[in-house]
Amino acid sequence: MARQQPIELFMPPNMLKAKVGGGLGGVDMAAVKRAEAAMEDLSGQFSEWLAADLKALVDTHARYAVGLGDDNRAAMLRAAHDLKGQAATFDFPLVARVAGSLSRLLGELPAGRELPPGLVEAHVQAVLVIHRENIRDEANPMARTLCAELDARVTKTLAAAPRNPNRNGHPTAG
Amino acid sequence: MSGYRFERLKVLAVDDNAHMRKLVVTILEAFGVHETVEAENGDRAWTSLRENNPDVILLDWMMPGMSGLDLARMIRTNPLAPNPFVPLIMLTGYTSIDHVRQARDAGVNEFIAKPVAAKTVMSRLVSVIEHPRPFVRTSVYFGPCRRRRANDEYRGPERRTETEQVVE
Repeated sequence: MARQQPIELFMPPNMLKAKVGGGLGGVDMAAVKRAEAAMEDLSGQFSEWLAADLKALVDTHARYAVGLGDDNRAAMLRAAHDLKGQAATFDFPLVARVAGSLSRLLGELPAGRELPPGLVEAHVQAVLVIHRENIRDEANPMARTLCAELDARVTKTLAAAPRNPNRNGHPTAG
Repeated sequence: MSGYRFERLKVLAVDDNAHMRKLVVTILEAFGVHETVEAENGDRAWTSLRENNPDVILLDWMMPGMSGLDLARMIRTNPLAPNPFVPLIMLTGYTSIDHVRQARDAGVNEFIAKPVAAKTVMSRLVSVIEHPRPFVRTSVYFGPCRRRRANDEYRGPERRTETEQVVE
């Protein structure tokens, strides 16, 4: 069936290349090293930065626990999702893993389905403990066991729920 | 050494997390970018990009209010966008292929899954400088061509449409 409007394919002028030049092309490793050094300088603040993200999760969780509702759930999902990305960058990989597990639960459990409060609480407590104990080693056996248990419970919860028509399942977030 | 004059770039960093913005700006400044503009959500970014007309935008996906995905669509399709061709680099905690597809379908050029690494940011910047993709306009999409690779070996019929026009 013919489409109503023809498809147009065109190459816009490369204004970016014209602006920055760079005849040699490729990754500027000297600049990358400078950036890595600058990140290393900031790394002393990472734990403190992550504490702010953890507080956001704790606050949104508290609001959801009292008021429930899609908006509160979406806010908690945003906080968990942010924490996942931030923790991975700020050198707390296990916090990132637990936050990712919580994001999966919040995002994939159908919107009308009540979240299991104990499982959500367990995730929140887990990230707080991992951060408080400054556990950054992914091989830490206790933390690994905890992460695996949380992952398994989320998987089991999602398997028992009807499939969300929106696979990504985010109540309001984009 | 690549010889890029990054100091000539103006980059807009959009993220609701102030610390993540600081990290991204720190990386860009270490690359030599002098002019960085920050926005904490899609709505502010929309205002900012109309005021500043950045050369590149690094944007988070999930933000309160207008998401990064909505912002990308708006930049590509809203007639008020100052530069619908501006390279968009999505920086997000999402990692699944579904999310990469969604970002691509919104008109995003490049995708960075957190954790953020300086080398990855540089690599995506180099990609939008050195390997810009052609743009496609259809009734339902406007943005960079979503086909990653040209397949010169393909000898079958044109799959995109029978009525495609290539504009020089």
